[in-house]
Amino acid sequence: MKKLSSRILGLLLALVMMTAGMSIAAAESAETYPDIEYWFTNEGFLPAEVGGAYYNLTKETIGVGVYMPYVDWNGGQTYREQLALRVAANDMPDIFIYNNGIENSMILDGVALDLTDYLPEYMPHVWEAIPASVWETVKANDPTGQGRIWTIPDVTTFTRHGAYIRTDWLEAVGKEMPKTQEEFVDVLRAFKENDLNGNGAADEIPTGGRMEARWMDYLFAMYGVAMYEGYPEWDVYDGQITYSAVTPNMKEALKFVSDLYKEGLLDPETLLNSAGDWSGKFDSNRIGVYYHIPWVAYQRLQGIYDFTGGAVKAQVANLPQISAEGYEGFITVKPTGNSGKMVSADVAKDEQLMKAAFRVLDCQYNMEYRDLEYGVEGMHHEVVDGKKVKLPEDKATQELLILQTPGCQVETVDVISSRLEAIRTEENSWQIDESLALLNGNQADGKIIAADGMPSSVYDGYEDIQNRTLYVEYISKIISGEYDLDKFDEFVDRWYSIGGTEVTERVREWYAGKQ
Amino acid sequence: MNAKNRIRESAGDHAFNLFVLVFLILFGIVMAVPMIAELAVSLSSKIASQTSSIGLLPVDLTFASWQFMLSNVSLWTSLGISAASTALVVVISLLINAMMAYPLSKKHFAPVKALMLIVVFTMIFKAPTIPYFLTLRGYGLYNNFWAMVIPQVISAYNLLVMRSFFQTFPSEIEEAAEIDGCGKFRMFFQIVLPSSKAVIATVGLFYGVGAWNQYATPLMMIQDTALFPLQLKIHQLVNAASGDIAAAVKVSTANYTNETLGAAAVIFSMIPVLLIYPFVQKYFAKGAMLGSVKG
Repeated sequence: MKKLSSRILGLLLALVMMTAGMSIAAAESAETYPDIEYWFTNEGFLPAEVGGAYYNLTKETIGVGVYMPYVDWNGGQTYREQLALRVAANDMPDIFIYNNGIENSMILDGVALDLTDYLPEYMPHVWEAIPASVWETVKANDPTGQGRIWTIPDVTTFTRHGAYIRTDWLEAVGKEMPKTQEEFVDVLRAFKENDLNGNGAADEIPTGGRMEARWMDYLFAMYGVAMYEGYPEWDVYDGQITYSAVTPNMKEALKFVSDLYKEGLLDPETLLNSAGDWSGKFDSNRIGVYYHIPWVAYQRLQGIYDFTGGAVKAQVANLPQISAEGYEGFITVKPTGNSGKMVSADVAKDEQLMKAAFRVLDCQYNMEYRDLEYGVEGMHHEVVDGKKVKLPEDKATQELLILQTPGCQVETVDVISSRLEAIRTEENSWQIDESLALLNGNQADGKIIAADGMPSSVYDGYEDIQNRTLYVEYISKIISGEYDLDKFDEFVDRWYSIGGTEVTERVREWYAGKQ
Repeated sequence: MNAKNRIRESAGDHAFNLFVLVFLILFGIVMAVPMIAELAVSLSSKIASQTSSIGLLPVDLTFASWQFMLSNVSLWTSLGISAASTALVVVISLLINAMMAYPLSKKHFAPVKALMLIVVFTMIFKAPTIPYFLTLRGYGLYNNFWAMVIPQVISAYNLLVMRSFFQTFPSEIEEAAEIDGCGKFRMFFQIVLPSSKAVIATVGLFYGVGAWNQYATPLMMIQDTALFPLQLKIHQLVNAASGDIAAAVKVSTANYTNETLGAAAVIFSMIPVLLIYPFVQKYFAKGAMLGSVKG
């Protein structure tokens, strides 16, 4: 009896020891990572703090807790100031996003980590998701001149922008989708003259844009002017890479745009509209042709729906990119963004910390973790019929989704489509359908411009040119008729004399190197 | 002759008074109009604010902006933090200012010139942001409540205002007290300070408004939202309605914009100052003239 019990005891002891040994082995295989402070754009969301819901979600999902204190974005300005303070205090966030050219000074100051050798091994998903041509551009842009990779740029592989037209209005005036400039102007006139929103007032705005002649790129693009959200770009003109704003194409485009303005086919407040003013005019059912990011059109359609008390379900379609006679029109596409992510050089001091940072970045590009975009259940999304549906944005209760759009993963038509599907509900289904149609409808109109991936350091010392101060002054006055079109030549001369010549030289040198 | 003069004078006075009255009413209206307009914006809907058609009356009346602001629990925490830091700044800085300004007002105090030079130096030369940040951080003030108090405690300008006042303090009173055997501390606390209510109220108000409105230093020093003073919190809330990232796929049901939220925030943060001002105003009018005439 005694023997038996001691045997059982021995067996039990052995079992306990075995399981203990197994659990130790398990703990060894699942690495524990330190937390990662990751600075991202925050426009008013609650901070994702250590121990908070979002932090816990990242810790559970990818094994690394990701957090960020509240850093106001404020158009990037406050963010950059705060980042500079943390750099000065020798207390940098582990991962941070860059924009506006700050990456170069960070690299030269030695506070950024050289990622070249780590990418293939520790961040294979990042390495593969970003096209090799983009990596080549990144290497060519290394400010130290050694061809190293310090940044993970935001990449967009498709045509982001485009104009869309109210097809319900088009139908109401009995016109076809315009294909030539003449037909286009004819449609604009019809939009202006008929009371298409039926409110009895002649308040329809055929088309227009925002202050500084922004967000009306498609009008300039009819003449082959490379333009990105109102910023003239560099492309090949007459066989050489040139600033599009100083080309003869631009002069012709200005003539066209100022004529539209004179005739009242452009919003008279075009040069005054803020972002809110301009989208507000669309939402109040007044605009015929609108240039923006087509896939977010569902927000505008909802705006009109709300404004009209549910009476108008606006119909929109891509306006094909029209070419003026003798020109080739296109929508400017720049796959390599001027923003992206960097890693602090300090993380290299602690191997586990470095591995954690790499893991976070790699997971962002790993489709397996795509659901991170949905955030925390109950805070950012809910589950309806087994499917995750994003909740409406509420900055009073939602923590910042750090590992989220934009810049998370490589943006492709598929990624955007799935984001749209994530917010589809019974009520907004028609809007999502229209958005998807717009997203897919104008991909053929895009053209990757020559300046794709050009570093903003070409403007060093010529901030006025980078900020396009002179350009905005002249273009606004020419469009509004205060200046004659002839003044354009004066603008070109002045632009070259205030540094345009030097910048052009730098760009051409960079472009020769890129090729 | 006398009577005639009096009539003419009073007629002139009357006209003058009337002019002053009309002028002040007009001036008052000019002051009030922007506030009323802001109030109207804060009570208007998103679409109304975007189509910029709001005058002095709300368009498409909604309380969405106010609801968003006031339902935010952390707003009230921030209000408390701002109130506490303001109160501390006022008390501590008044004490330190008075204790420094009083000796500096005495000609027979030997190091006056050297000390004044140091004070004036800080009025002319300011530390650049980054060294300033590093210094405060070195003191352990990063993400620390006291970052909103200590750097605000002394301002050279306010010190000079107080010193000028003490310079006009009749020395006869001090001499008489001294003869009666009153010590320096007792003289300061029981005789000088109680007769200096005007300057204390004035300088206290300067410090109070400055501390209440402070933005740059907390923005630099405080990243912990739990420690945000009101102005930072308001900025965070106002920003909540801005849409920099045009391409973000999201659903928004908010009936406010950063403009309407901003308007609500302006009104909200103005109220406490508006409530306190009338009580110190009588001293303020007197105090602002302090030091302008030396006896």
